[in-house]
Order: sequence, then structure tokens, then C-alpha cells
Amino acid sequence: MTEKADIVKLPKTFELLDESGIGLDGADGLLNERERRLLVGAANFHALAGPGRTFRFTVLRGPSGTLPSLTDEACHQIGWADDREVVGSMVVRSLVHTTAKFSPADGLVDLVVDLGGEPRLASAYDQLPGLLGKARRTVRFMAPVQFDALRQFRTDVVERRHRTRPVPRKAPVRLARGAAARRPATKPAVLFGLHWLELGGAERWALETVQMAREAGMVPIVITDRPSSHSWIERPELEGAVIVPLTHPTSPEQESAFLNGVLSTYDVRGVHLHHCTWLYERLPWLKSIRPDIPVVDSLHILEWRTGGFVDISVRMSNMIDKHHVISPQLRDYLVGRQGVEPEKVELATLATLTTAGIERPGRVEGAADPFTVSFVGRFTQQKRPYLFLQLAAELRATAPGRVRFVMHGDGELAGEVMARRDRLGLADVLEVRGPDQPVARTLAETDALVISSDNEGLTLTSFEATAAGVPVVSTDVGSQASLIADDLLCPRHPFPFVRLAAERLRTMMTSPDQRKTWLDEQAVKAEAFAKLPDARTWTRDLYEGWLK
Amino acid sequence: MSTPASVAAVVVTYNRKDKVTKVLDHVLSQTRKPDWVLVVDNASTDGTPEVLARYTEHEHVRLLRLEENTGGAGGFAHGMSKAYELGADFVWIMDDDCYPNDDALEELVNGHAKAEEAMGMQLPYACSVVKWTDGDICEMNNPGTTWDWGRLLAKGVDGVLTTSCSFVSVLVPRWAMTRFGLPLKEYFIWFDDAEYTLRLGKAAPGVQCLRSVVVHDLGVNRGVNFGDINHSNIWKFEYGARNEASYRLHHEDFGAFLRHVQRTLRGMREGRVSWPLRLRVLKALARGIRFNPKPEFPRSVL
Repeated sequence: MTEKADIVKLPKTFELLDESGIGLDGADGLLNERERRLLVGAANFHALAGPGRTFRFTVLRGPSGTLPSLTDEACHQIGWADDREVVGSMVVRSLVHTTAKFSPADGLVDLVVDLGGEPRLASAYDQLPGLLGKARRTVRFMAPVQFDALRQFRTDVVERRHRTRPVPRKAPVRLARGAAARRPATKPAVLFGLHWLELGGAERWALETVQMAREAGMVPIVITDRPSSHSWIERPELEGAVIVPLTHPTSPEQESAFLNGVLSTYDVRGVHLHHCTWLYERLPWLKSIRPDIPVVDSLHILEWRTGGFVDISVRMSNMIDKHHVISPQLRDYLVGRQGVEPEKVELATLATLTTAGIERPGRVEGAADPFTVSFVGRFTQQKRPYLFLQLAAELRATAPGRVRFVMHGDGELAGEVMARRDRLGLADVLEVRGPDQPVARTLAETDALVISSDNEGLTLTSFEATAAGVPVVSTDVGSQASLIADDLLCPRHPFPFVRLAAERLRTMMTSPDQRKTWLDEQAVKAEAFAKLPDARTWTRDLYEGWLK
Repeated sequence: MSTPASVAAVVVTYNRKDKVTKVLDHVLSQTRKPDWVLVVDNASTDGTPEVLARYTEHEHVRLLRLEENTGGAGGFAHGMSKAYELGADFVWIMDDDCYPNDDALEELVNGHAKAEEAMGMQLPYACSVVKWTDGDICEMNNPGTTWDWGRLLAKGVDGVLTTSCSFVSVLVPRWAMTRFGLPLKEYFIWFDDAEYTLRLGKAAPGVQCLRSVVVHDLGVNRGVNFGDINHSNIWKFEYGARNEASYRLHHEDFGAFLRHVQRTLRGMREGRVSWPLRLRVLKALARGIRFNPKPEFPRSVL
């Protein structure tokens, strides 16, 4: 408790001179905690980018689902859209050191910060614009499995292209020392780059590292670069962190001023990137002014269709001292495919992120009646819940015995899941459970878990299933081969997936011995995987090294 | 200190129970021990599993029995894939009638590293000198060399730069499998080794390490000759004709394809091969036009 309080005091970038409606001075405000933290994030950015200056923030709130505007150029306009309501005003003075003397003429800098609305779950398809978007949306929701078949062919094409193309590298920075422009700061800090503060495996790990940096005695400075409502901004791991949720486009002079502000206020001992394009792009500049600061990045998933952080990482590899990867697949891609020096790539897994450790499964008795097949995960496009429903329909029609299904999760496709469940006539055999229920309970009832994702890094639910003694049938994507029995790896394409997964599940129903054989193979793989280096230990050692 | 590279030996066997144990004994008595020895039994029917059973308790040996005979190509693809899954940094592949000298692997690993250092680049494979049982060079397993084959010799390294080699004691680094995939199992037999090493050669030349020596226990010491076709071996030549035709056409050019056809026909004419057999080979050459398999890539497991 005292540790937290101390750290909250440490990273002060601004002082509050006055406020109304915000609630930062202890009085009741109109803002909730998420909004307050977003506002503090905006103030962090402007205070770091404008050392010594005084800012007056006019604080807006938008309708539900609208995204914040915190650091972009629009903040300098004192007009706003009709649907924005003013919910607060705040005056702060930057505590960032400056040698400049501001004259009264510089006066107050007025900024308008829009905190957006409450987060709303929406699939990317909901945001497709125009007639074409409407057509795509309609086809996607009318025939999701057929639409998915086309998507997978597109993935094949993109993957083939990337397989044969080496990623060009940014030229290295050859300086050993940057020309000193400022006095050295004394507060040790780690600069983190994150995608956003929302639910996700990469984000969960990123927040853990933020906490580890704080526990090591350094101030975490957390930059995010994606538009988001940042529903995780209140997470306890972020206590004491200086959060800067960037919204774009920021003005170029503010960007360098902001990073200069960070470097002059904090003794940045290292940079740790977790899928943050903005910070990746600024690494060459950062390395040219501070080549002494070590840079590492953590990579989680190999994917190209929607950009791909791994390739950005490869492009910037000359600026990165260590690539931390969580799976053997990523290591092999970097070293084998892209020719990154093996000593620069560190494989350290998150095998124990959600389980206390992998043990030999205790639940190996014969299959139950009815045989329970489950899906555990977010209802998102990536996880393809509609494919699980298709598999359920197939199994219901062809299973050699009674079978029931559990879908445990929630997400942007929740409405589609319920509608298709009814359309496929599965309402009496398929139960949908919300994330308020414990996953352990679902796994305890489960005879086989299905992972139907079209891409994954390494599914944490596979670890949980193994620990619970549940065999997993999965698409052969990402590093799933590290955890799943060979026979239970199914093609990514939807129709072959349904065909093979149904066949394997039918085999499990008729042959408990075969089910046990697969489960044993899964456990052996999990055990071998668990012996790989651990990401937490590696990161803790890394941060301790940065403190020396 | 980095950990030493791990090596998985892969031996593919089919109905050679009298030789495969000698191969394994040679592999297991290496001065540089392989971390794994994977024996791929291509569904042998001569009692090979019973003979191999005595190795089941050996801590380094893993027996992989296939349901059907997939040919040397399929066996090597399977074994290499499994070695890759185990996390091997190198795979050392050989036939079931290849007896490596005690220091063959050690010299191969060291020779590969020295060649890489001398060349200043990663080399995608290293192969041994293959001798016949009488100590002479084994004619079937002589690698193709690059135009600058003596470059390493000039730098004081006992190695020769190569364009391709046969699967008789070849060391393949993990990165090469990641980048180029596995041998084409669809080739079944013949030219799978040439195709694979030519494919790897897109990255850089290979190296034949002159200090690494193995003995290939073939019945007769004779290279591939289409004039030798008879009724009992025609099936093998059909694979060879088709596979090389496919490679020359789809991975080189039409001219290379025509030259292969011409060479094949000339060989059969000079060997006075009967017309029905020549016709079968011609058909195999024609099959190569449409036959164009794509490589599979190994899975990263550990």
C-alpha cells in the first residue's frame, strides 16, 4: 500500500491548479474512474510535450461507442461536434523541467479533450462503410461459414506472399553516444509501448511487465497508440504508471517534444515494446539520440492479414537489442525465415500465465453420457464461434451417442451466436455461458474442448484444459502444434475443419482409450513446453539488469 | 555461453534389417553423439521392427513406424519434420546402408561451422565424402560442385562448395528447413535429394566436408544410367524420369526439361532398352509436365 502511494507521487508530470467536474482533487466529479484516467493520460502527454507550460483542458464526453481524442491536433480547436457534452474543466501546470522562460504572452494553452463515450462491443464488420461494406456485412452474417472459406483462401494467398518475401530492414544507427542536450534525470523508468488497454493475451502480458517494472523500482511509462476506450485503464497493474494514450494525428513537433519530455523527466533505463506501431516507428530517432537505452520487444503472434507486428519488428530489428518471443514458431520465423541473429531472439514462454503450472491430467476416465464439447473464449471473428456452432450441428446429426455443447464467453459476436444457435436448432443441446462463470467449472464438465480460431499465438485455454485433463481439438494455427496432440490438429479452412474435428470427436465418444492416448500426448507436449524458459523470470532478470 | 547446437540423426529404412542395425551402431558410436536418433521404418515387411526392437530402450533412439511405404522422400520428410518438432538445431540424414566413420558427424558439424566462418555466410547444408565398400568414391553419391568449388580450399578449409548432393550423410541446419521446408514426399524415390539440396542452394552453396567420411554399402558401385533399365527396376527409373522432368520444367526452364528428355532417351538407346520399357519411361517423362508438388513446412513445437 505504501509502495503504491510512493510510486503514485513519483511520476508527477503536472500539478493541478484548478478543476471543475473532474474529481481529481478529491471532490465528487462528473467523470468516472476510466474517464479520469484518460484525462490524466492526456494531461501527461501535453505536460511532457510542453515543459513548464500551463494548460486549460475543456473536457468533453461523446455518445456511447465513440472513441477518445486526447493528444491529436483536434485538441487545439475550441469547437466541437453537437453531440459532445462538456463534463469538466481543469487547469494544470507542467512540472517537466525546462530552461525556457515563458513570458506572460505565452499565457494559457487551451486544449479540448474528448473522452469519447462508454466502450461498446462492435465487430469490425459493423464499421464497414458504404454500399460495399453493407454488402460484405450482409454476406458475412447470412453465411458466415461460406464467407469464412473465402477469407481463408485470402489468408493462404497473403501467407504465401509473405513466406517468399524477406522483410527489408531499416539501416542501423551507428552512434555509440547521443549528443547530450539535457541534464540527466534521476527517476529510473521503463518506456512501454502498447497497442491499447483492452482485453487480450498480449495486453495481459504487457500489463504484467508494467507491474514487474514498478516492482523492480522503476516508473512505468505506458504509451498506447490505437484508438480505444481503454477499458483496462483502471487495472491494478497500471497503478503508479504514467499512462499516455496517444490519439492521432499528433503534430510532429509535439511528438519529439513529448519524447524529449519523457527523457528529461525520467532516467529511462529501457524500452519494452508490446505491439505499438508508433513507438516502433520512433525507435531509429530514439536510438540516434539515446543509443545507450536498451530496446526489447515482446512478440506474440504471427499474422499478416491485418498488418503484423512481427514484420514491423523485423524491419526495426537493427534498433532492437532483444526480441522476446513467446512461442517456438516465432523464434523459427525470426531466425529461420528472416535471418535475425539467433542470439538476439529470446524464447521465453507464458506457459504459466493463467495456470499455476502444468501437471499431468488427473481426469482421464472414460467419456461421459452425454459427451460434452465446449468452446471457451471471446466471441470474436478471430475465434470463429460460428464454426463451433457448425461443428455442433454436424455432431448432433452424426454423433454415435448423446452430445451436449457449452459455449463459454462473450463478445462482439454474441448476438450472432444466439441467433445461429436457434437457426441451427441447437437451443436444447447448446448452453451459452457468460464470462461471469468460472472457466474451471466449464472445463470440469467438459469431455473435449474445441478451439476453432483462424489464428492464435498460443492459446492459454489449452494450458487450462490440459491442467483440467481435457483433450483439445484445435485448428493447426500459430503454435498450437506445441500443445495439441498431432491427430487433433485440424485444418484452418472451415469445411475441412468441421469434417475432421467431428470425426475426431466421434472417435473420442466411441473410444475412451483413444481419447486418453490423445490426452496423454497433449500432457507430454505441455510438460515439454513448460520446461522452456519462463517469460516472467526472463523479464524480471532483464529489468534488474537495467537497474544496475 | 551459448548452448551447443543439438543434432538429430534421421535414418530411413525399408526392408534392410541386415544393414540397418550396422548403420545404427555406427551412428550411436559417433565421437560427437547425436542428441536424438530417429529411425523411420517405411512399413518394412521383412521383420525390421523386430530387429529394431532392441533399440527401444536406448535413451537417444526413437523409432517411427509408418503405416505405409512412403519412399525415401516420404521417410526423410517425416523424420526431418519430427526432428524439427523436437527442437533439433541440425538434422543429419542418411540411408539405411550408410556406415559413417566414428568422427563423421563431428567433422560434419565442425566443417560446416568452419565453412560458414570462411565464407562469411550461412550455408544451408553440409555433406560427407561418400565412399564405396572398397574405399573408392561411391559413384552414385558424388555431389555437384559450384564453379568456385575450390574457394574453401584456398582459405585453408577442407571443404568443397556444392550445388547438390544425395541423402547419404547430409547435415541440414534448422533455419534451412524453416525457410525452404521439407523434401517433396510426392517424389517417393529418386531425385528427391537433388531437388531438395538444389532448393536449399537458393540461399547459398552447400559444402562437402572432406574430413567427414561415410561408406555406402551398395550392391554395385555404379551411377544412375538409363541404359540399365530392365523389368525389375523400371519402376524406380519411372520415378526418376518423372521427378527430374518435373524439376527441370517447373524449377528451371523448358530447355532444361528438353535436355533431360534427350539425355534419358539417349541413355535408353545406348543401353538398348526394350521398346515397351522405353515407352513407359516416356510416359513418366510426360507425367512430369503436370506433376509439380509443393513443399510442406515443418511445425515449430519446441
